[in-house]
Amino acid sequence: MSRKLDIGTGLAKTYLAVVLAFLYLPILVMALLAFNRSPLYELPFQFDLVWFKALASNDRLLNAGRNSIVLALINTVVATALGTAAALAFSRYTFRGRRVMQLLLLPPITIPWLVIGTAMLVFFYWTFPLIGLKPRGLHAILLGHVALSLPYVIIVVGARLADFPKSVEEAAATLGATPWQTFWRVSAPIIAPGVVAAALFAFATSFDQFVISYFLAPPGVTTLPVEIYTSIRKGFTPEINAISTIIIVVSMSIMLITARFYKFGGER
Amino acid sequence: MSPRQRQNWAIFGLTGPAYAWLALTIFLPLSAMLYCSLIDTSPLVPKPANFTLANYAAFFQKSFYLPLTWWSILLGFWTTLFCFLVGYPAAYALAKRVKGRWREALFLLIVLPFWSNALVRVFSWTMVLRQGGFLDMALHSVFPDAPTINLLFTYPAVVIGLVHSYLPYMILTCYVSLQAIDDSLMEAARSLGAESWTVFRRVIFPLSLPGVLSGAVLIFVPVIGSFMEPRILGGAKGATLGMNIEEQFTVTANWPLGAALSFTLLAIVLVIFAALYPVLKRRGVWG
Amino acid sequence: MSQVEIIGAQKHYGPVAALENVSLKFVDGEFFGLLGPGGSGKTTLLRSIAGFIELDSGQVLLDGEDIGPIPVHKRDIGMVFQNYALFPHMTVFDNVAFGLSVRKMPAGEIKRRVDEILGLVRLAGLQERKPKQLSGGQQQRVALARALVTNPKVLLLDEPLGALDKHLREEMQVELRRIQREVGITTIFVTHDQEEAMTLSDRIAIMNQGKIEQLGAPLEVYEHPANRFAAGFLGVANFLEGRVAAVSGHEARIDLGLGGQAIAPTGGYKPGDTALLAVRPEKITVAAGHGEQGVNRLTGTVVSAIFSGSSTTYRVQVGDQVIAVFQQNSAPHRFQPDDKVTLHWSPEHNVPVAP
Repeated sequence: MSRKLDIGTGLAKTYLAVVLAFLYLPILVMALLAFNRSPLYELPFQFDLVWFKALASNDRLLNAGRNSIVLALINTVVATALGTAAALAFSRYTFRGRRVMQLLLLPPITIPWLVIGTAMLVFFYWTFPLIGLKPRGLHAILLGHVALSLPYVIIVVGARLADFPKSVEEAAATLGATPWQTFWRVSAPIIAPGVVAAALFAFATSFDQFVISYFLAPPGVTTLPVEIYTSIRKGFTPEINAISTIIIVVSMSIMLITARFYKFGGER
Repeated sequence: MSPRQRQNWAIFGLTGPAYAWLALTIFLPLSAMLYCSLIDTSPLVPKPANFTLANYAAFFQKSFYLPLTWWSILLGFWTTLFCFLVGYPAAYALAKRVKGRWREALFLLIVLPFWSNALVRVFSWTMVLRQGGFLDMALHSVFPDAPTINLLFTYPAVVIGLVHSYLPYMILTCYVSLQAIDDSLMEAARSLGAESWTVFRRVIFPLSLPGVLSGAVLIFVPVIGSFMEPRILGGAKGATLGMNIEEQFTVTANWPLGAALSFTLLAIVLVIFAALYPVLKRRGVWG
Repeated sequence: MSQVEIIGAQKHYGPVAALENVSLKFVDGEFFGLLGPGGSGKTTLLRSIAGFIELDSGQVLLDGEDIGPIPVHKRDIGMVFQNYALFPHMTVFDNVAFGLSVRKMPAGEIKRRVDEILGLVRLAGLQERKPKQLSGGQQQRVALARALVTNPKVLLLDEPLGALDKHLREEMQVELRRIQREVGITTIFVTHDQEEAMTLSDRIAIMNQGKIEQLGAPLEVYEHPANRFAAGFLGVANFLEGRVAAVSGHEARIDLGLGGQAIAPTGGYKPGDTALLAVRPEKITVAAGHGEQGVNRLTGTVVSAIFSGSSTTYRVQVGDQVIAVFQQNSAPHRFQPDDKVTLHWSPEHNVPVAP
């Protein structure tokens, strides 16, 4: 029996290695090319940082990158705050309409982004000028990103709340803590890992988001994914390799660091 | 204030902001677009608008829309299928065969690409698949006389790119489902005389179905509306309904038509959900 | 200490009555048990006193004042939850100190009182541990210390010993009583375990479907159950049905359905009444031999004999009823299934109960 298990484990690891190879292959190729001098991928491979230097003066890409990061940060704060509050309400109170409200979280996840993006474009085009805002722009993109992030935040934080019984909060109340005190001193520390996980989700959802940003970005103001897309369509600049490599390295590093501190799906 | 009233205020205050946001960005826009799909002039043109169903009729009248839609659905289907075929065994391997630190490490490695930019990942495939790209050069380094491979701008390229992008979703959801299956269930089945394949077929797979179905939903829905990956990897060959809709809004500025097509796409998604709802409900994905 | 009183408590969940006009006055400093099966309303009553449940009508009085409109955190109660509800991210010290720190007590005073209470519950030295490093019994003591350290007016316990294994439970029963006596606080607890109710309580209330079936000291309720439910729920009882043949003085002679007769203290019977008598299994003696049914005497066949250490439970078939008998294992003879036996008991152990 244990012999069989050993073969099973060996086979499993081999298969997983193959899958990982598939997942990482293109990324590694791209990273390699970012360091290659030739702009047309000719071999032999010559290590050079020329494209990274070119990137430093590529204002379009840099602006787009800055927009993406700022948007993602604001999105994280807003979506996490709003989503955590809603998750708290769902978990700690029973009320009529709770089921319906939870169902209403489905549309952002289940409706194709194309539909949501175009719908926002139409709606903002008709309504924003009435209050003096432009229909497209970073403010519009932010609205869209938060909307997409909210359901994920609510689900992730909700899962963490489900794990921690209401009786702990009731105990705090019997000990004299007001609801506000109970939240800050008891609930918040306990749900913190869930909130952090949700925040990471929100950040990634925003930073990664293409479709909605694409429709709501006016000429001259873009996010990084949109800028990369238009660059590819126009003709290719190798700086894209460079910035792509940077994005991958940075985002993966953040993930690794967080994983050191928070075990996903449980407490450390 | 009575406890009941206090509670109602608390609920309102906690859920209000989030749902107001959703109303402003999802529900109201959808209504606006519905209205837009039923008028005959684009909002960009300052002419009075009249009610019409012509935009929806165009879907059935123009000869290319139905095949285009069918292609898009097929694309969703192939992508989901391959994600399942590749992803489920990976999730199973991770959940049931790998233990301890390996499991944590491998899980992290699989999920990591997820956190990098989707566009970047699709773009990276162009580096691999194009003429003179990685695959081409790899092949030639082994067989110098082989013909050039140019997989870029082909239908398989689009599928590969999409599978690569969405695979982690399937692995994630299946892993969560499989991991939740207690080992004691499998031991019980064994003790009742079932062999490995039977245990899998009758105990493990049915219990992991919610994960499979959630993954399928998370993959299928974005894919059938996709236009970015098909355009970058497929060029003209990878035409999808999504691309056509995008053109209505950016190139031809025929917003009413685009809106109608958008809603048609949504209707297709809902129809597919409705058809699958009994299965989803029974397997505990929704209910 | 404090006076707690419930007047006319009503609580309905849709068509289901959780509490049906319940009134109860707790004696200052007593250890009171609310006993009943699931759905009897005992937990609803406890949580109404705590403030988690709002009554449809009726009042909860603390020292004469209606605390209905007062929110939980202002009620000055102490509560121990079934799963202890310790704060997982805080040490034992911080858990116990929580109520005091919320009341903005100075740090020195807090330390003194926390150390003192931990000594009382015999957990001194564990201040820096986290809850997950403690055993079940230790967690429970922390929960108790945490509830008591703020000197609340009343202590509420929700199924306090349910999660513990048998030995630990017996040990904690002694501990709980000791601590409660020492502190002197009015304590109300909820349980579905009748043995726990009897060992801990000064008085118990047996609840069923939102009503109080009987109220009194454990011994009183056990020996003189008011009705069939109380007799059957608290301990085990054999129920003998019959008709009253004659009444003389303080005795009633009842013809039993099973045959024979029983003599019972008159429970207000008149000749011709139907009677229901409860007889506790430990009051019945088993002897070998067969014969006629007699007065406070039945004969039958042993169906099963279950040995459990200090006692043996016999189930004896008499006619179409099975009678349960507990016998301490000090008797020389042990009976086997199919033995013919005679059961007899004394008249004062025939307890008339309402159906």
